[in-house]
Amino acid sequence: MRKLFVIFAYSLLLICLSSCGQQQGESDEDTPKRLTIAVIPKGTTHVFWKSVHAGAVKAAQELNVEIIWKGPLKEDDRESQIKVVEDLITSRVSGIVLAPLDDTALRPVVNDAVQNNIPVVIIDSGLKSDKQISFVATDNYEGGRKAGHHLAQLLDGKGKVVMLRYQEGSASTMNREQGFLDSVKEYPDIEVVSSNQYGGATTESAYTASENLLGPLRTSEGRLSVDGIFCPNESTVFGMLRALQDSGLAGKVTYVGFDSSEMLVKAVRNGEIHGLVLQDPIIMGYLGVKTMVHHLRGEQVEKRIDTGSKVATPENMDDPVIKDLLEPDYQKWLKEK
Amino acid sequence: MNTDQLSPRDLTNQKAAIFRNLLTQSGFKLLMALLCIYFFFVFALGLQQVVKTKQANQELLSKLEEEDIPERERLQDSRLEDPWHKGLQASQRFVSSRNLETIARQTTIVGMAALGMTLVIISAGIDLSVGSIVALGTVVIAWLLNKNGFSPLLAAILAVAACGTCGFISGILITNLRVVPFIVTLGMMLFIRGAAKGLSNEQKIDAPDTWLNELLASLGQDQKWMLIPSGVWILIIMAVMVAVLLRYTRLGRHIFAIGSNEQTARLCGVAVVRVKVIIYSLCGVFAGLAGLMQFSRLTVGDPTVAIGLELDVIAAVVIGGGSLAGGEGSILGSLIGALILTVIASGCSQMGLPNWVQEIITGAIIIVAVALDRLRHRRPT
Repeated sequence: MRKLFVIFAYSLLLICLSSCGQQQGESDEDTPKRLTIAVIPKGTTHVFWKSVHAGAVKAAQELNVEIIWKGPLKEDDRESQIKVVEDLITSRVSGIVLAPLDDTALRPVVNDAVQNNIPVVIIDSGLKSDKQISFVATDNYEGGRKAGHHLAQLLDGKGKVVMLRYQEGSASTMNREQGFLDSVKEYPDIEVVSSNQYGGATTESAYTASENLLGPLRTSEGRLSVDGIFCPNESTVFGMLRALQDSGLAGKVTYVGFDSSEMLVKAVRNGEIHGLVLQDPIIMGYLGVKTMVHHLRGEQVEKRIDTGSKVATPENMDDPVIKDLLEPDYQKWLKEK
Repeated sequence: MNTDQLSPRDLTNQKAAIFRNLLTQSGFKLLMALLCIYFFFVFALGLQQVVKTKQANQELLSKLEEEDIPERERLQDSRLEDPWHKGLQASQRFVSSRNLETIARQTTIVGMAALGMTLVIISAGIDLSVGSIVALGTVVIAWLLNKNGFSPLLAAILAVAACGTCGFISGILITNLRVVPFIVTLGMMLFIRGAAKGLSNEQKIDAPDTWLNELLASLGQDQKWMLIPSGVWILIIMAVMVAVLLRYTRLGRHIFAIGSNEQTARLCGVAVVRVKVIIYSLCGVFAGLAGLMQFSRLTVGDPTVAIGLELDVIAAVVIGGGSLAGGEGSILGSLIGALILTVIASGCSQMGLPNWVQEIITGAIIIVAVALDRLRHRRPT
């Protein structure tokens, strides 16, 4: 038995050494004929990322390439995402489409990919680097401005508003927040009462933060001392919505959000949310993969590709264009797999 | 310390006893487990590639058939690929030096923290604040680097010292308040996480580019003589030092004594309070070094990093033969435990498995590994 162990160990060691020896010869590996593209989201459970996945699958089927969909094991954990990128570089995918969790922390690993001749397309959030082939994303600043103008119009240009931020370091939501603040500044009678609270990564943390934010703002008559609320992404919008509903304030305050989900659509229909700025995640996933494939097939691609945004309101929500954005048909694509 | 006890039969055959000690204590079996898991992924990756390529070929052939291309031309189509060749390539990638280096780099953070955690667990304690200390470490380094007059080395040393102080405070609280380590370090976990967030104004801190970022960076062509990045070397040196400390110094034996039976140790004259404070301080220092490594990978100070890292670290120690009841554990075992966790994660990533599958596999392996370890322990006595 012991001898078997030893023999086994030695044989494994030999295999290991021999393959290490072969490694030098393998470095100029012939490029694979069928492209394999890794798509790395920030997380895998949000509806938003499911839609990006759907778009990527759609592009993969159209262009006859293979995609590997692999998010960080811990949602919103930078280290976890770096590990995933490293592992996919090692498995030598043809290209990486990445939604970076951080504009700086992911930079070294992207450089590493480029050094290993694996091109990178950035989607959704920016990266402070010029190594990427292209940046495919919603113009978040513009989206935030749209939200600000929409809220200001609903309030007739006067009143007090609060904003619950998402999380520091996430470039996309910070741009939305900045866009919102800048656009609201154009209305002299609108006052931003609070804009320094953070909802955090999950709906649960956003719910707690919302309760803490709303608590001191309640008046004795059970209303709110503010007129408008803005939240910059799905988890904060939903957390805030739950907090409003639980304290019976939903619908009594003008509420504008960003992103959509089934529950948010219901809230728009019930008049509890008065506007949602929508990105097009399916298009984002689709264009991300498509841009990468074009690049790999030797075509020129744009450095910056905008995927657009629109405001959904209770009035226009049955419009087919808006409806597609509100309820992305991701299941159609993901089920076909 | 029941691995040290020898049954009478073994004493008659000393050679066998020595060999068994080698098996149980040197982590030989664990090494085998690591290799088995590693080569499982080597074969799985190859096989997966073979199946995938075959499928792609099949699809291509049926498409060509629809286009009425004669069979001979179909089979010579340049887009067809040899599945076994592709499979071999995929397998080779997992045993390539690049992958080994990646695994080593990814293990360093958990491995470094596991050095301290091994000491704590041998002494029958636990430290839940490790993840928060790592985050604090990254924040302190970035914060100091942004101040004038702090060289990278000084910033790193001060950050590790700050982390050591956190461990020291835990140790003082545990021994003086007589509260169980679980509760004290649970409190410290939140306390330190909060401190890290406060220090960084609840945002990540960008830091200037220094040589600290190179500690765990992938080696360039001109640095190949180092074999593995300097951060991994630091881990190895530290591991050897702690292993020697545990085995050959009085402090090391006292740690085992406290873990085996604290009352007896006290009666035998072990300065339990002092040793415990030293243990938790060391755990803080190693968590700080893990924070330094984490900073090197992130290049920013991030107060939200390493949430739940302590659980990975504890899992590594326990897989490596550490007992939460105290008195057992080894440095080599803990490092192998950390390596096993990385290999699973890395293998699953490279196979493109969804995260939920990866989590289920990791959970199952932890339970199986520890269960096997307990079975092994029951046999000799």
